[in-house]
Amino acid sequence: MTYSIIARCPRTGRLGIGTTTFSLACGRRSESVRPNVGISKSQAMYLRAHDPRALNLLAQGFTPRSVMSVVEANDDDFMYRQTGIIDREGNVVAHTGAKCGQWAGHTVGPYYAAFGNGLAGPQTVAGIIEGFLADSDAPLEDRLMSALEGGRKAGGQATNGIHRPERSAWLRVVDRQDYPEIDLRVDLHADTLAEMRRLLEQFKLYRDYYRERCRNPHDALPEEDFVPQLVVG
Amino acid sequence: MTYCIIARCPRTGRLGLGVASYSFSIGMYCSDAMRANTGVSITLGAPNPGNNALAVRLLAQGFTSAQVLAQLIENDVNSDYRQIGVMDREGNVAGYTGTMTRPWCGQLAGKDYMALGDMLAGQGVLDALAEGYAADPAASLEDRLLVALEAGRDAGGQVGKGGRLPTRSAAIAVAGIFDYSDWDLRVDAHDEAVDELRRVHKEFKLYADYYVERARSPRNAKTQMEFADMVAGDQPKEMPKEMI
Repeated sequence: MTYSIIARCPRTGRLGIGTTTFSLACGRRSESVRPNVGISKSQAMYLRAHDPRALNLLAQGFTPRSVMSVVEANDDDFMYRQTGIIDREGNVVAHTGAKCGQWAGHTVGPYYAAFGNGLAGPQTVAGIIEGFLADSDAPLEDRLMSALEGGRKAGGQATNGIHRPERSAWLRVVDRQDYPEIDLRVDLHADTLAEMRRLLEQFKLYRDYYRERCRNPHDALPEEDFVPQLVVG
Repeated sequence: MTYCIIARCPRTGRLGLGVASYSFSIGMYCSDAMRANTGVSITLGAPNPGNNALAVRLLAQGFTSAQVLAQLIENDVNSDYRQIGVMDREGNVAGYTGTMTRPWCGQLAGKDYMALGDMLAGQGVLDALAEGYAADPAASLEDRLLVALEAGRDAGGQVGKGGRLPTRSAAIAVAGIFDYSDWDLRVDAHDEAVDELRRVHKEFKLYADYYVERARSPRNAKTQMEFADMVAGDQPKEMPKEMI
């Protein structure tokens, strides 16, 4: 049980993922996002080797559609996997295997795919998309966060009509550098999406400081002097 | 305002790092800091986030740890402000603490590991990292790294002008033989990040084998809800009520 969105910002070309799940530490899967290449996010009863393999193929120039067919041909248990793949141009495909449980499904739109399994129903995916599309001028990380919150508000994960807690979440946005612009994780928490929202809002206060300190450490304020200046709401 | 250990397990060849910091999210760049069968490298101080991936690529090309370190320094006009650790797949280490890195700062090289940090309570923090790491050589690398961080914390951790600085973020990552991590846990923006990392680590251990086995053999796998119920049944006092 997991719900995710992968997307490319059409204005900036940045790529990003937002995901939340009952599983622990879903953000440990940094192999699923590669700057200037794309994102492959497999879930349900996923094989971790899928994502780096898919990204290697994308990097060679194969389209997401071809990559998905290679991944399928390579896997006897493809019906147990759910995968979304997006390339650097925003071409997207998604797959939901027949054995991914109830309810499982995906929706592919321009520059994004929203997908999940063990969900309350299709309304969760609809909620993700509604959140993502709410403000298309916003930075990608904000849109991904709103998408996860939209999915949660629409019912999130459930089995037999009982909501199942989101215990971990991951938000990663990459631009042109090797390293992420944003990579925030909640690995085990009772109110995961509220915690992720808190991390995101706080991190925004630090982002320019960290960027500038690394470029120009000579003039940088010590961090222990910078932090007390922050007004954290 | 960070303490860190990079290490290689001499039994298995696995490579890893443990890191804890006053910074908001020290783990943000750690997933780029290692590659299986290649090496691990981290830049701290006023960090240069591009260094980690660059170092790993240089190691992959066959440069020694010392050569990689020299190139990172040469490549960066602000290298005086950086603190760098590099280790290759054989456990050879090279370390550097720039002259503008804030005291107390330094690195401690050992066989198959290097401890490093800045704004520490003193040399004792690095000694404690090394002792914690050495405490149980038979343990798995992720366990040894976490014990090392706990020992560094207990030895005084980080200190600023006004006294002890809280450890607000922490991470452990280990690369085995795959092109994805064996172990990668993180705590961001927390009051007691190393304590919290221990809690997450303990819980994740209950699930780690299940996640691997479920991927390999989904036809025979329990659902995660069934598995979680089983874990909760085994450990009634370990699970907060809202997690069950």
